[in-house]
Formats: sequence, structure tokens, C-alpha cells
Amino acid sequence: MDFLLIALIPLLPLVAAGLTALLKREQKALSATLVIGAQTVACVLSLWALLLAMCADNGEPGLIHEFVNFPWLTFGHETLKLGLLVDPLSGVMGAMVAFVALLIFIYSHGYMKEDRNYTRFYTFLGLFSGAMLGVVYSNSLLLTFVCWELVGLASYLLIGFWFFKPSAAAAAKKAFLTTRVGDMGLMIGMFWLYKAAGTLLFYDNGAGCLEQAALATMAKTLVGGLALSNIIALLIFCGAAGKSGQFPLHVWLPDAMEGPTPVSALIHAATMVAAGVYLVARVFPIFAATGTHSISLIVVASVGAFTALFAALIAVAQNDIKRILAYSTVSQLGFMMLAAGVGHPGVAMLHLIAHAFFKALLFMGAGSVIHGVHDEQDIREMGGLRRFMPVTFVTYSIGMLALAGFPVLFSGFWSKDAILHAAHLWPVSQLPFYMATAAAFLTAFYMTRQMAYVFFGQYRGHAHPHESPAVMTLPLVILAAAAILMSLPATPAWPAFEEFLKGEAAHFSLEGLTEPGFLQIALTSTAIVFLGIGLGWLIYGRKPLGAVDPIQTAAAPAFRALANRLYIDEIYDATVIRALHGFGSLAAWIDRQILAGIVSAVAALSFFVSAVSNGIDRFVINFGFDNSCNALREYGGAAASCEGGRVQGYLRLIALGTVILLAVIGWLLV
Amino acid sequence: MNTLLFNLLTPELILADAALVVLIAGLIPFTSSHRGMILSLTLLGGLLSGAWILTHPANYSLFGGMVVLDPLTQLAKVAVLALSLIACVFAYGSTVKEHFAEYLALILFSTIGMMLLVGTEDLLMIFIGLELTSIPLYLLTGYLKKSSTSAEAALKYFMVGGVSAAFLLFGLSLIYGVTGVTSLRELAAITRTTGTDPLLLAGIVMALAGFGFKVAAVPFHLWAPDVYEGAPTSSAALIASGSKVAGFLILAKFLTFGLAKTSGSAAWDLMQAGWLPLLALIAAASVVIGNLAALSQRNVKRILAYSAIAQSGYMLLGLTAANANGVASVLFYVIVYAATTLGAFGVVAIVEQRRGGSDLDHFDGLHRTSPGLALCMGIFMISLAGIPPLAGFFGKFYLFSGALGSVASVHDGSFGLLWLLIVAIVFNAVSLYYYVIVLKHVFVAPADDAPAHDRACHCGVSAFVGLLALAVVALGLYPNALLNPIQNAIRSAVANPAKALVAQP
Repeated sequence: MDFLLIALIPLLPLVAAGLTALLKREQKALSATLVIGAQTVACVLSLWALLLAMCADNGEPGLIHEFVNFPWLTFGHETLKLGLLVDPLSGVMGAMVAFVALLIFIYSHGYMKEDRNYTRFYTFLGLFSGAMLGVVYSNSLLLTFVCWELVGLASYLLIGFWFFKPSAAAAAKKAFLTTRVGDMGLMIGMFWLYKAAGTLLFYDNGAGCLEQAALATMAKTLVGGLALSNIIALLIFCGAAGKSGQFPLHVWLPDAMEGPTPVSALIHAATMVAAGVYLVARVFPIFAATGTHSISLIVVASVGAFTALFAALIAVAQNDIKRILAYSTVSQLGFMMLAAGVGHPGVAMLHLIAHAFFKALLFMGAGSVIHGVHDEQDIREMGGLRRFMPVTFVTYSIGMLALAGFPVLFSGFWSKDAILHAAHLWPVSQLPFYMATAAAFLTAFYMTRQMAYVFFGQYRGHAHPHESPAVMTLPLVILAAAAILMSLPATPAWPAFEEFLKGEAAHFSLEGLTEPGFLQIALTSTAIVFLGIGLGWLIYGRKPLGAVDPIQTAAAPAFRALANRLYIDEIYDATVIRALHGFGSLAAWIDRQILAGIVSAVAALSFFVSAVSNGIDRFVINFGFDNSCNALREYGGAAASCEGGRVQGYLRLIALGTVILLAVIGWLLV
Repeated sequence: MNTLLFNLLTPELILADAALVVLIAGLIPFTSSHRGMILSLTLLGGLLSGAWILTHPANYSLFGGMVVLDPLTQLAKVAVLALSLIACVFAYGSTVKEHFAEYLALILFSTIGMMLLVGTEDLLMIFIGLELTSIPLYLLTGYLKKSSTSAEAALKYFMVGGVSAAFLLFGLSLIYGVTGVTSLRELAAITRTTGTDPLLLAGIVMALAGFGFKVAAVPFHLWAPDVYEGAPTSSAALIASGSKVAGFLILAKFLTFGLAKTSGSAAWDLMQAGWLPLLALIAAASVVIGNLAALSQRNVKRILAYSAIAQSGYMLLGLTAANANGVASVLFYVIVYAATTLGAFGVVAIVEQRRGGSDLDHFDGLHRTSPGLALCMGIFMISLAGIPPLAGFFGKFYLFSGALGSVASVHDGSFGLLWLLIVAIVFNAVSLYYYVIVLKHVFVAPADDAPAHDRACHCGVSAFVGLLALAVVALGLYPNALLNPIQNAIRSAVANPAKALVAQP
């Protein structure tokens, strides 16, 4: 396998970004061509990598990891190595990231055409894509971490792209700081892993940290009653939870919608937020080192299930079209974490891929809507848009049905069912299953509400809605097709995807459909989806909508709480931030009241000392310092004036130098 | 026998042929007016020669070490060749307009000298190589016939060079007289038993004076500022880069391969006669005088000259480690330094063409008129000052830690070479001042409104300046890319000496 080409996948967009950074503001076409061209090649290469991962066969059963490692830094006797890895997991993820990113890059050309800083936008997009693909193909937790932080940086730059809007600047800062809290955990986990396993390479012919020897050691070592593997796994999960917006670190994701909509689609729907789930899937062997019901996996499942339900609840009462999608993303990421937590990272990846396609579709559809109604984001100011924007309407509906999990035709149905099925079979507790079922119901409900507000009824706004240009709608159509087609390898009858990730050959059998438990799960979830859509339509679809939400009139306090995002931000303000301020004030008080007294005393003493030292300073030190500075200069002049330009002098000095050296030798010999 | 010699010397022969072809091309009326064509011929010859070296790895020596072909010499030859070819490209964009073909041919001849110099382990060949390198360099220095500074610089360079060569020859003959051999390997075997003979030490002192001239170390440095300023910029670039790499490599081989047992000690409290205390003394003097004198310069080429003297001091300090690791760090640093200085001279060449001079004032506001060049200059200066994460930092780091480590391991509890390191680090801090002064003119001072002398694009020169800047950054981020090959080559040269080829009757 030629890893040079694999290395090109992240490097190409990165180099393109570097080149566009040098361009002038007016060279819009060139910058877009560079970045989109590089991304196209990267996309082709990533599809080739996927093909390699699919066809790789070493004649033995089990997973195949093709990797190459190289030394990066040597200190003392330790060598830090980095590496690249192609296996089914990275193949699938890389192809999805590169493909979705390419579509969004094309779409951005339409969306950002009028922006002054168009070239800079493409620079950031390229930087992001390169870093994200680096996370995907890395074979070393260290390289993953480096790219992970670069992804965070690119995300910061893109959220704050319209930095002149105070809200955007604040959102960027919030995203960076919140994810940073999680990254602290990841970093500590990484250090600890290096200490425990002696390497940060994932696979290294038996010596990697995800391979049997290291895992066995970590599972056996106990720290405070917990297996070391579980502690490290939980620390890594902190980082994953930060990036993937899991409760309680989810607060940055809805605010991040301040960025341009292509950014929301690229980073906060399809790729970056999925990096957390990908990381958990990648280091899953550490989580599962002490069995598939280890404490770390139980934590992952609980956090995931709670986030799924909690975010879905909040989404019901939001009025900003992108915020609804943002909370829906948080909720869906919860689903994925739940799947990983109950021991099925393959199912999590299936939902991740399916979700990436339809959520990117929804975000880009929302962008098209926002573009069409002249930068209005409040769904109460929309309505009846299906008449003005037919293409957007149809594709958005497909995305909505996929997200809601509408039966049979759409990818979301199969992947969500797989998660519910996995949660149902989890022996530890049934609670996550019920929470996920409730979240699925809410998902159908809030998406119906949004559809009713945006596309049905009468237009309530004041602009003149219009359909978006083809460069924006074409990616929508492609993604809509993907949202449907992604269902093919996901059905239980042909579970190609999960078995591919496990390294087994896919087989077709209708028996999967009649597997015990599956049918009743499928029927239940179908019923729930219909219930959600039906209820949503009953409340929002039948009569014209006003400024006041029907639920608001029925249950005002609950709605207000949800509309205010369950006051999580306020709680953080009141606790963490208040506490920090409190500490600050306390420190200030101690400073002023206690230390100041001491300080005054010291100060009085200091005054005396300083009066003395001032004298010394002025007449001795300063004199000395200034003079030594001047002296340095003069010596410089003197040193330079050795060569006065007369070559006789040069020759004399050579002879003199030789004589001095001979004298030194003579002196040493004697 | 003949074919064997032919094979071993093919790269040099290709270069010699190329030089002759270039000379002839310069005589043909049609081609002589096409400088681009002449440059292409030169580059073609150089690339062929480089390709031959890269595709024919070997481990042989001939005539008892007169010609040695092992990984180390091949690596050094490739480095020297690359630096010289880039100097050729700079020449294309510089003030050398007349007799361009002869100019490039001289560069090629000098390069052949450098390649022979790095590819030998024999005292006699060292002298021949040094002379073959230097004589074309004298001519290249005085190439601007109409400029009096150029002629003056050439004369000074030639006279100082001649005297130094005399010292070197005298020193080498003393060494031969004491030991009766000229091969470095045999020299090492003999000095292992004889120990420190006063006459041998006198020979070493004399030889050091000759090498000191080549690497511009105090007190044999005085020619450097005049030559760097007066010579055509591309000549100065060659003197500062390729010739320096060759000089340091051969000095390192001479001292650590041939005279390892007469090293003595330069530790503060344990001084012993040998070449180490001399080297330490020269290094300290170079660091101090080079850095101080650079402070008061107003011309960027002169600043680069004094910086070269100071940098020579750092590299000599690396040699005081007196082991294979030390040689590796010196070779790494000298290659990085040569690339950096070459790039800086490239920027100077362009500025000279555009603004008519290389004083600090000519660099005012460069970042407004050519931001790319300004950025490259920033990278070069910061790397020379040794600030992470650029290659210059790692180079200095390896030099200093090598010198510190070797001594600490030999004399436990002694202060060792700490005194020298402290001098080097203090004066490295001083050096930041004049490097940053250059950058102040480039980035802070307002642009001068005088119209440019020359609005040509200088695309070739700029491209290579950019490449060199990229290399400096890349080697800072991933120093092992160069350090590992160097370490492997030196390890192989020490553990697995080149196989002697016996002449067939």
C-alpha cells in the first residue's frame, strides 16, 4: 500500500489552505479553485483508500489494519513515533468527511460569493479539512491530538468568521474554551496512556496501545479500585464529549450557529462534532479492555442517552431554524454515544455516517432557506416556502424524514433502529432504551413542527422569497440521494456496514429481518415516528400559525424553560462563572485587606531600601549598565576596526594568532 | 584500473565536462547572448552529477584513502553540489552580466574542488582540494572588473589565502615529518602509540591556521567582511555556503578521524595540550569578536560576514565534543547554516538589483513592496539567531548539548566545557540584536519612496529563496529528516571504513 498517497489526503487541503493564505483578497476564483481542486483530489484518494480497506485481505479472519509508522522526535532513548492507518473505520470515515466537505466547499461558493473575505474563508475551510482528515487517518493518539487541536482552531476561526458581530466573536470564544475543558481530560489521558503503554501508536505489530499486550497490562493495573484502562478511557471520553457536544459540555454547539451556514453544515453537523464519536470508536478497545460492560462504557451510554433526550426536549421550543438543527445534532450525537456505550461502535459509526449526510443536507437546506428569505433565521417569520423554493422543499423533506426516522426508505430509520435494538439488548439497564425511544418520538415531533412553520401555511415574513442558485441546490440533491441510498448497507437483511467494520464478509439473508426482537423494535419505532409526526401535524399543521406557539399557550412555564434551554447557560453563569468571579473577588479581598497591610509594611521598608538603592542605582549600577551597553557597542567598533582595510595588518594578525596558539601549546606542555 | 578510477570520479568528471561545455557555449556568438541557455547547461551538468552520486551508493577507497567514496562523502558531495547550483541560479539574477559563461564555469571548477576535498582522507589531497576550491573563488570574488571594491576584496582574499595556504602546507609537512604518513587512518594508528609530540603539535597549530582561514575563524577571519561586501553577491553566497560546508567537514575529519588521540582537553580545570584547547580558544574568540563586531555594521552583507564568523565559532564549539556525535551535529548545523545564509544572500541579491545597494536602509519597508521576500528574510534571520522552531535552533541545540554531553561523560564532576558554552550562549543573546535590526528595517521602517532601479521579477532567485526558507522551516519541524542520514553515514564511516581497492596490474 502506498502511504505517500494516503498522506496526501490531509496534506493536499492543508497545502491549498497555505497557498490561499498568500493570495490577495480579490483573487476569489483562484482561491476557490485551489481549495476545491485539492479537496477533489483528496476525495478521490480517500475513496481509493476506502476501496483498499474493503479489498484488503491477508487470508486470515479478523480486522485488517494497514499502517506505516515513522519516528518523529528523539529525546534521550525515547522515540516518539507518528503513523498513518488505513482500516475499515478510517476508510469509511475519511471517505465521508472528504466527500461531504467537497460538497460543502462547492456550496460555499454560492453562499459566500458576496463576502469580502471570501479567500480567507476558503483558507480556513482548507485548514479544517486537512486537520480533520489528519484525525481520521492518524495511527497515533499524539498525531490525532495535534490534528484534533487544529480542528478546534479551524472551528474557532470559522465560527468567528464574522468577527465584527459580537455574538459571533463570543460564540467562537465559548466553543474554543468549552471544548478545551474536555481536551484537558484528553491530554491527561494521553500522557497517562503513554506512561502505561509506552507508546501512543494505535497499531504497531503487537506493540501498539490498542493491541493485546498493552490492553492486558492496563486492564490488570488498578488505580483507586478502577482498572487503569477505564480511567484512561474516561479521560479520553472527556475530550470526545467536548468535541461531540455531550452534556454537560454541549453549550457551545448551539451558539456556534453564529458562523456562516456552510460552516454549520460542515463542522457542526457532519464532521467535527462526529470526531468525538470517531475517537471513541477508534480507541474502543481501551474502553472494552475489561469487558463490554466496563464502567467507562456505562458512563458513555448514560451520558449519550441523557444527552439524546435532553437536547431533543430543548429543540421543541426553539424558534431559530439553525438552533433547532443544532440541538437536534446534539441529540443525535447522544444516540451515537449511546450505541458505542452499549458495545456497538459499528452501529454508532453507521448512524454517524447516515447522520452526516442527512444533517449536512438539512443545514445546507436551512442555508438555502436563509439565503432565500434574505438572512431571516426565525421560523415564525417564514411559512409557505414550499411554493417559492420547490427544490429546497423536496430535498429538505427528505432530510427531515431521514432524521425523524421515517420507515423503510430512509437511512435514519435503519441506523436509529439499530441503536434502539442494541440498547434494548443491553443487559445492564433498560433505562437508556426508554430514554432513546422518547428522544426518537421528540425528534419526529420537533422536525414536523419546523417543517410546518417553514414550508407550510402562509408566508409571514416581509421579504420576497426566492429559490437559491444551482450551485447551492445541486449539492442538496446529491446529499438527498445519499440520505436515501445510505439505507442500503444498513438494513438487518444486509448488514454490510457493521460487518465490514468488524472485518467480516457481508452476507445477504432475510433472516435478519425476523431476528427475535428486531421486528418488535422496528414496529415500535415506526409507531413512535408516526405518533410524533401526527402529533406535530395536529398541533402545528392544521391552522395558521401566529407569533405565539400553541404549546406556549397550553403549558407556558414548561415551554419557557425549554425555550431558555433549561437554563443550563444560566446555571453555568451562576455556578462556574460566578464561582470563578467569586474566587477572583476573594483573592482581591485577601489582596486588599490582608496582603495590603503586609505590603504596606514591606513598602515602607522598601521605600527606605529603595532610597538607598536608588542612590546606588543611579551612581553605580546605571552608570555600570549604560556604560557596559555603550562599551559593548564600542567593543563592537573596536572589534570591527581590527580590520582597518590594510591587508598587511591582516597578515600580521594571522602570524600573531599562530604565535599565540603556539605559546598556549607550549605553556600547556610545560 | 582506469575504468575503476573513472567510476569513482564520475561525478567530478561530469562537472568538469559541463564546465568545459559551458565555456565553449560562452564562445559561440548565438548562445553567449542567451544567459538562460548557459545557466541551463550548467544546471544540467550539476543535476547529472548529483543523480550519478545518488544512484551509485558505494563504499570504496582508492590510493590509500586519497579518494574515498562512502555514504558520508556522498552525502557531503550532494549537499555541496546543491548549494553551488543554487548559487549559480543567484548569479543569473545578479550583477554579473558580462562573461557569464566563464563565471559559471569557475563556480563549477570550485565545486569540483569542494567535492574532492570532502571525498578524501589524505593530507596531500586535502591541500590540493583546498587550493582547487580557493583559486576559482579568488577569481569569482574579483569578477566585477569595473568595481574597485571587488578588485580590492579579491586581492585581500588572495593574499590572506596564500599566506594561510603556506601555513597549512608547512603544518601538514611537519605532521608528515613526524609520522611519515599522509593517510588520516594511518595517522590515527600512529598517533595512538606516539602520543603528543611537540613537533606534531606545532604542525597541528599551523594546520589549524590554514583551516581557520577557510572557515573564517578569529584571528584568521579578517578577509571575510571585505570579501562578502565587495564580491558579487552570488560569489559571496558560494563562499559562505558550499565552501564552508566542505571546510568544516574536512576539518572535522582531520581532527576527529586522524588526530583523535592528540586532542588533549579543554576542560576549565583540566587543560591538557592538544588541539582541543586551541579549538576552544579559537571558538571563544570567534563567538565574541564576530558577534561584537556585527553590532556596529550598517551593511547587510557585512553583518552576514560577521555573523558567519560568529557561527563558525559555534560550529568549532561543536567539534570540541571530539566524537562521532559532535561531527554529526556540526555537519547538520553547517548544512542548515549554509542553506540559511544562501537564502539570505538570495534576498540581498534581489534587493541589490531593485534598490541599488545592500545597506540596512535599502531594506526599509521591504514587507510592503515584496511581502514574500520579507517573510523569507524573517525566517532566515530568526533561524540564524537560533529561535525555535526553526532549523537553526535545533542545530545549535545539538551542537551545545553534544559539547556538554561528551565532556560530562568523560570527566565526572568537572565543569568541563561549561565555560565555553556560557560564552557562546551569552553572545548568542547579543547576536539577536543585529539579526533583529535587519528585521526592523524590513518590517517596521517605512518604505522608501524612491523608484525601483529594476522591476524585473527575479522569479528564479525568488523561487529558490522560497524553497530554502521552506527547507529551514521543515528541518525545524522535522530535524530527523537530515540528522538521521548524517548520523547513519558517520556511524558507517567509523564502524565500517571504506574498502580499499587494490590496483590491478
